[in-house]
Amino acid sequence: MTTIDPSIGTDRARAIFDEELAGVASAAALQELRNRWMARSGSWVAAFMDLIARATPDQKKALGRGANELKKHVEVALADREAALSATRRPAGAVDVTLPGRAPRLGCRHPLSLVREEVGAIFSRLGYQVLEGPEIEDDYHNFEALNMPAEHPARDMQDTLYLANPLTPASYAPPTRGLAPRAPQPLTLLRTHTSAMQIRQMERHDPPVRLVAIGPVYRRDNLDLTHTPMFHQVEGLVVGRGITLADLKGTLTSMAAALFGPATRGDESARSGQAPLVRFRPSFFPYTEPSAEVDIRCIRCGGEGCPMCKRTGWLEILGSGMVHPAVFEYVGYDPDEVTGFAFGMGIERVALLKWGVEDIRLFYENDLRFLEQFGR
Amino acid sequence: MKVLLSWVREFVDIDEPAEAIGRKLSLRGLPLEALEPMSDDALMDFEVTANRPDCMSVAGIAREIAVVYGLPFRAPHSAWPEAGASPSPAAAPPIRISIEAPDLCARYVGAVADVTIGPSPAWMADRLNACGVRPISNVVDITNYVLLELGQPMHAFDHARLAGPAIVVRRARAGETLRTLDGKPRALAADMLVIADAERASAIGGVMGGAESEVSASTRRIVFESAWFKPQSVRATSRALGLRTEASMRFERGADLTAPAVAMARACELLSQLGAGTAGPLLDVYPARHQPAVLFLAQPRVEGLLGMHVPDAEIVRILEALGFGVEPVPGGWSVVAPGWRVDMHRDVDLIEEIGRHHGFEHLPATFPGVQQAPAPSDPRIARDARARRVALAAGFSEAISFAFIEARHAEPFQGGEAPVALANPLSEKFAVMRPSLVPGLVGAVSHNRRHGRRDVQLFEIGTRFSARGETRAIGLAWTGLATPDHWSGGRRDVDFFDMKGVVEQLASLFDVEISARAPAEGSVAEAVLVPGRAAVLVSGDRSIGWLGQLQAAIGDAHDLPANDVVYVAECDLDALSAAVAPARMTTPLPRFPAAVRDIAMLVDESLSAATVRGTIRSKAPSTLVGVTEFDRYQGKGIPDGKVSLALRLTFQSLERTLTDSEVEAATTAVVDLLTSELGAVRR
Repeated sequence: MTTIDPSIGTDRARAIFDEELAGVASAAALQELRNRWMARSGSWVAAFMDLIARATPDQKKALGRGANELKKHVEVALADREAALSATRRPAGAVDVTLPGRAPRLGCRHPLSLVREEVGAIFSRLGYQVLEGPEIEDDYHNFEALNMPAEHPARDMQDTLYLANPLTPASYAPPTRGLAPRAPQPLTLLRTHTSAMQIRQMERHDPPVRLVAIGPVYRRDNLDLTHTPMFHQVEGLVVGRGITLADLKGTLTSMAAALFGPATRGDESARSGQAPLVRFRPSFFPYTEPSAEVDIRCIRCGGEGCPMCKRTGWLEILGSGMVHPAVFEYVGYDPDEVTGFAFGMGIERVALLKWGVEDIRLFYENDLRFLEQFGR
Repeated sequence: MKVLLSWVREFVDIDEPAEAIGRKLSLRGLPLEALEPMSDDALMDFEVTANRPDCMSVAGIAREIAVVYGLPFRAPHSAWPEAGASPSPAAAPPIRISIEAPDLCARYVGAVADVTIGPSPAWMADRLNACGVRPISNVVDITNYVLLELGQPMHAFDHARLAGPAIVVRRARAGETLRTLDGKPRALAADMLVIADAERASAIGGVMGGAESEVSASTRRIVFESAWFKPQSVRATSRALGLRTEASMRFERGADLTAPAVAMARACELLSQLGAGTAGPLLDVYPARHQPAVLFLAQPRVEGLLGMHVPDAEIVRILEALGFGVEPVPGGWSVVAPGWRVDMHRDVDLIEEIGRHHGFEHLPATFPGVQQAPAPSDPRIARDARARRVALAAGFSEAISFAFIEARHAEPFQGGEAPVALANPLSEKFAVMRPSLVPGLVGAVSHNRRHGRRDVQLFEIGTRFSARGETRAIGLAWTGLATPDHWSGGRRDVDFFDMKGVVEQLASLFDVEISARAPAEGSVAEAVLVPGRAAVLVSGDRSIGWLGQLQAAIGDAHDLPANDVVYVAECDLDALSAAVAPARMTTPLPRFPAAVRDIAMLVDESLSAATVRGTIRSKAPSTLVGVTEFDRYQGKGIPDGKVSLALRLTFQSLERTLTDSEVEAATTAVVDLLTSELGAVRR
């Protein structure tokens, strides 16, 4: 520490002060520094005052100005440092606020459950009732009433899993209308589609109908990248006077936009706002006529063509059509009075596309490293 | 259906490249699955839906292309004779043809031909090869060529091998057998249709010919067959025999009743064109002639169903180009379906044709009007969502597992009942429907543990299956730490009461009061849980579920690492929601303060908290409103076999503030009760 010697001049003294201040790290050291420079006696400032007192009148003015500037500088610098020090001072009982909090563990949602809920919410908003139904079905509701009588070749489209021993329904309320057998039917199979719920609902309720049925379905498909023997479907059905295929297109357009968000809408300016979001390709299902496979504009490239859409600009998403008049006859609706549309979409398919999952089997492994990617 | 572009061009003058054709047809109902370019040709593979057997032929695909491009469709050769006409002078004696089962065979066209067996010319062999059919000999190749070209399956018998010589179309006889062309002996059932000679079966109608009457190098005379078999019968036979052939696939979807004679004429023409032989007259057994479907198409119905306007002229153009006869009648059209359109039954079938060929891309996007308020949704959806929130908030991640599991995994969870087993499972791993969600969860825990996860908390909400039907449940599994690692310590493994707390929260979510008991003998809980760390949950006399520590043997069966302690629980959500009490009215807030007294009692360690609580409740002073166990201590100062139970008693009156002496008296009453009833001693 430099000996107090005002003869070195205020400029030099000021440099010494700055050096000493830089070495101060605690409130105590700061107080010591303050005393050494500002105390009424024995400090640097006091020494300069003595020097001024003893100076000649013409020296006094210059010395006085220099000493005042030094004093002011020291005061300001000390105050600044004090403020800075007090800002980092920990009060009694202080905690390290940067340590992690004691957070209760939160579980993660399953992606299929997220899509299921989202689809349900979209259609609830559109005024649909959301239904679930039995997973073990009778042949009548899964096939026959959907215009697939025994030996219908379309039954080959869905390889069915059968029960070793048919079950008898626990409770049975015969349908009030339609061609359904009035006696309980043996439950012989795992439903191959949620379409069975269409029949169950229609044979008990008058039109109009506006429903989605969601849940697991089963087919005898071997496990691979794109197939699992159990998967989830959402089935939509709207029946009433004057329902058209164009209504189906509008409904599915709205669903696609809600489900896939801005990605599906793509770059509006680039596509001049006119390009459709969904595309219908004629197809065949025994329970709809006309029938259509529905594609959505590729959610990755917006239709330009990319590996995800195999350079077609379109992604296949669901099967649909106008309810076959024969189905209406099975459930006791008059096909001359009402028309309707129906669609069936794979929940896994939506999830695969939405999150770019490449192996459908991941949905059934329940690996936390996978599930944790879908948020909480 | 694989077709060569060059072959298609024999029916329609199409100049477009195969790729462009494929793109266009994909939007008209015939998706192009694969395209194989060849030197100055292309092999197009179209996916044909089950309702369009007419497109399982070159001609059928060509007709669709003609409609799509607005080009004329034409018969391939001018020499194509009219049905029933004789293609060549009679060179061979006729054969006796009789149909004894006209319900299964509506038409049988035969022709006898003298032939010289040899290889087919290169052009024919190349076409067959390209379409995936192995050339065999000129006669056999002709039947396959006609099948591919016109979609009509044909067969050739060696005339010398047919006893009679006769063709008898009949049902198989009891115990009858036949060795088919693939060399396999087939046991025939009585409902199967066979083509027999005077003595025995020579072919399975519409499925496959017999080896005995197969055309060979030494064959000199043949009988060509071109027939119509009933779809349901062919399908049933093909399935029963596990024998799918090009012929059966076409017959089971529905063949054209008007086609057999046309195809026969084509085959006989090819025979002479190849110099392979000369055929006798066409022998056409056709007991009941085809009645074409005549449909009325109401004009407003087209727009009424599609929601898009299609001009009348366009409607007529599309239908006529597809081969329909269209006659204007008041209010619409009378439409006659061609024989190959076996899928035409109603006006909607016509409207689909109009819609798809006019183009679904012209459909506007409209919205169905709402006529009434939506009906309520399945209440299980909202209920399950609430249960899901509780589980997530308690740290459990959501699992979804296959509903079918291994029989050995299901067995301990069946409670002695028979499983719901599958008749045709994919494998042993998917043999029975799960009686519980827990086996699937344990499998998932095991998967995560084996992939380096220390702490695993999983739940699943799903269906359980038993012979009594389906129930919805929530299953939970928990291994590892009770709470996440934290710098402040408190590190502890999950125990019984962590899991019980979650289950209690679930029950409180539904406002259902549950109590726990030791599992009964023979129960699922007893079969799968560690004794002494197992409980069943009841609400009144309704069983709600069970929880406890999983037995090591169950974990072993799922390859769970040894020494892993897993707590599991399952609650029947249907039972839980059924136990929900009707919504309650609120009670006014108490206006007078409560008094709290703590007591510590020495009791037998075997005495359950439920017994203590029950005893207090049974005779407690009316001012006692709450009992909480807040400490349980064994160790220094406590005699062996005893436990110090600390209870917090809350007293309150709705009418007034209780005096100290009243509270004291009430506390003493509780202590006395425990002393007299349970032999407890106050500490």
